[in-house]
Amino acid sequence: MLSYVIRRLLYSIVVLFAASFLVFTFVSVSGDPLAALRVTPDYDPNTIKRIEDAKHLNDPIPVRYAYWVKDAVTDQFGTTLLGDRPIMPDLWRVMKNTLQLVFIAELLALLVGVGIGVLSALKQYSFFDYSATTFSFLGLAMPVFWLALMLQVGVVLVYEATGTRLFPITSLSSVDPGGGVDFLIDRAHHLVLPVVVLMVASMATYSRYMRASMLEVVNSDYVRTARAKGVAERRVTMKHAFRNALIPLVTLAALNFGTLLGGVIVTETVFSLDGMGLYFVNALLNNDPYPVMAFLMVTAVMIIIFNLLADLAYGLLDPRVRYE
Amino acid sequence: MRKRSFLPLAGVLAILASLVVGPAATAGPERATAGTVVVIHDQEPPTLRNDWEDNNLEATALVVNNIFHPGALYDDKAQLVPRLFTARAKLIKPKPATVTFAYKPTAVWSDGKPVTCADFRATWQVFINPQNNVVSREGWQDIKSVACKGKNGTAVFKSSYADWESVVSANVYPAHIIKGQDMNQTFTNSIPVSSGPWKFQSWQKGVQITVVKNTKYRAGPQMKLDRIVWRYILDTNSRFQALKANEGQVIQSQVQLQIADFVKDSNFVVRKGPEYSFEHLDIQLGAKGHPALKQLYVRQALVTGINRPQIASSVFRTTAPETKTLQSLIFKPFEKGYTEHYKKWPFSQQKTISLLKSKGCTGGPDKPSAGNSNIFSCPNVGKLSFRFGTTTGNQLRALAFEIMQRQLKSVGIELVPRFQTAGVLFGTTLPSSDWDLLMFTYVQSPPSKITSNGLYSCPNNRGDQNYGQWCNAKATKLLNAVTTTLDENKRIQMLNEVEAKYISTELPSIALFARPRFVIRSTKVKGPDLNPTQEGMPWNVSTWTTS
Repeated sequence: MLSYVIRRLLYSIVVLFAASFLVFTFVSVSGDPLAALRVTPDYDPNTIKRIEDAKHLNDPIPVRYAYWVKDAVTDQFGTTLLGDRPIMPDLWRVMKNTLQLVFIAELLALLVGVGIGVLSALKQYSFFDYSATTFSFLGLAMPVFWLALMLQVGVVLVYEATGTRLFPITSLSSVDPGGGVDFLIDRAHHLVLPVVVLMVASMATYSRYMRASMLEVVNSDYVRTARAKGVAERRVTMKHAFRNALIPLVTLAALNFGTLLGGVIVTETVFSLDGMGLYFVNALLNNDPYPVMAFLMVTAVMIIIFNLLADLAYGLLDPRVRYE
Repeated sequence: MRKRSFLPLAGVLAILASLVVGPAATAGPERATAGTVVVIHDQEPPTLRNDWEDNNLEATALVVNNIFHPGALYDDKAQLVPRLFTARAKLIKPKPATVTFAYKPTAVWSDGKPVTCADFRATWQVFINPQNNVVSREGWQDIKSVACKGKNGTAVFKSSYADWESVVSANVYPAHIIKGQDMNQTFTNSIPVSSGPWKFQSWQKGVQITVVKNTKYRAGPQMKLDRIVWRYILDTNSRFQALKANEGQVIQSQVQLQIADFVKDSNFVVRKGPEYSFEHLDIQLGAKGHPALKQLYVRQALVTGINRPQIASSVFRTTAPETKTLQSLIFKPFEKGYTEHYKKWPFSQQKTISLLKSKGCTGGPDKPSAGNSNIFSCPNVGKLSFRFGTTTGNQLRALAFEIMQRQLKSVGIELVPRFQTAGVLFGTTLPSSDWDLLMFTYVQSPPSKITSNGLYSCPNNRGDQNYGQWCNAKATKLLNAVTTTLDENKRIQMLNEVEAKYISTELPSIALFARPRFVIRSTKVKGPDLNPTQEGMPWNVSTWTTS
């Protein structure tokens, strides 16, 4: 297994280099990052010259890429194009916020989605099954930004009608979040709507997969054998069917992590959450290629790691899988 | 067994209930009555170091202008009024311009140190130091020397410098704090002292900046509020939803479609008025532009073929229908000296067609027609089909373009859209001069008219930002002379002469409208009001109250 992991990591490094070069090229040719400075009335041309020299903006793209790789590897992604502000402290701050949001959403989506999927399978073609199916397709069909906006509008309408704001609609904390438990409750309160938005599509996906997987398992020979041997239904469901039906979901959950990181860009922008998505959007708006690259690299590494973990977990859960 | 399995469910429900009921109870409108006003803004400052290469932002100015307070600030009429100064600075000698000023005895930093001329001198040295990455050294580099005697100072310019007053009245840094500091790394995350009505308290990155009342401020009226919190929300729709949900009480905004909702809402007061930013249509007269545009009659056809009043009223139909057409490229409607030079070009489609035909243009319509698809071709310059550039993703600009395109097509002039991202448009296309027509906004300030030569003087004679390549030697001479003319009335007369005789006649650019600025406040908050300059709405923060 070790050689498999090493091989996968080596492949990943190649993929990272190729992807980073392509992204760097696209970002670099997409416009002049000093455009805003150039149209500033009475700007100092020496300032622009100094930035161009310091950041090698007039060099060919491969040379600029090489400088970026050097900074990324030796100087924690270096500094912003303007202002020479270190990238890593900001990236680290937003990363923690985003991971908090994504993990909570993923965990809740898994718990609820799996629960709905199991119940749907056990009560196939029941009212619950049909309802779950309908809502799952609704969840899959709703664009993230639309759902986020609708939730915001809903909260505002309730506030205008009653004077009570059920949930905050922007930001990660109140003006005065307090400390300790108060802070945690305030943070949780602020995360409710973003988590709901982020988990809906995942939950729908998980419930559909879990239902299908569960149906396949409960109709398999070994489950029938267990029932024939007189094993209690609860034990048949939980030990023989449920655990085996979960295996495909492990891969799905890990792969879904990348989707969530994509969805988080919209969610964090709409709810104004200080996370990686908003950081990425701000960097794009500022035409600063270096934070954009840092965001993309961190995201790519996370996706690679989670995909690798999914493959490894699959092997651990299913004895039939062997790594060569 | 059943009871035990119910307990976790009850626990989860209790937590959920506490999330809803607990914080919701404290999240109501009472915050505004506790001496705190939450202001919602779209952009978070990258640092608290304004006028730097990465930070020439209004967002930063709004926060720091009341911390590094100016000698005199621009009021809501864009007039300088003394703040830390005892009176407006005085020009005591015209050549070289020599200016005296004095800080009030009550002007002190929040750590107790007095604000003196030494602070002004230190600030001047910051801006002229080539090691400091300031965005512009304009004005500061024209000062030859600063002599200080306590609170009194005398600044001597290298020669005559028209904009002397805004330079010497500028916000000043605390000399005792910045001494020996690398200014490229100072005031990045906090500011330890203040000379203005509020002082910095905290910055929760990505969320908010909090400033509190500076109790040591005596140079002007103190804040009645305890603190102001600047909350940063990038998404436009969310910003306005947050205002409705009372997550903030005040917002200063450019025109947005969402503002229409607040105009009708009795819980909010919407103030609106023109600001220094103005939309215009630049015409390329250089080698890379369409040859037809070098012909004056074609430019005249453009200006008469566009219904400029209709554009202004249509673009702001739901938010500021009273927005008027801008009739000057140099002065704004609220400024002394504003003259309606472009009024001589009223909208007349029939006149446009007649003009083109009289110059031998053929192939166009005989009379204006909405369904027209015949485009004029003119002698030696070809078909009147022009590349029209502007920024993508701006609904109002897209609407303005559609109106112009439709109106000009009905008189036989074609506009071909070339929309680009702001980065490409301003970074690559605009400076390349490889375009025909370009619509964008100039963000300006009160002294901008003095430096109009940067935009309209010949490119090789101080017209550094004259990307349209228009060049008129007489206009250039006058515009360059304005920068050294100390008498304001004389300057106004010279600028109006340039615009009347040359700019509005030769039409290198077409004025469209001064963009309206909005301040929306909850009725629970009183005081926040318009200011067309970069002082923005906090210019009168001492009057703000909550109920």
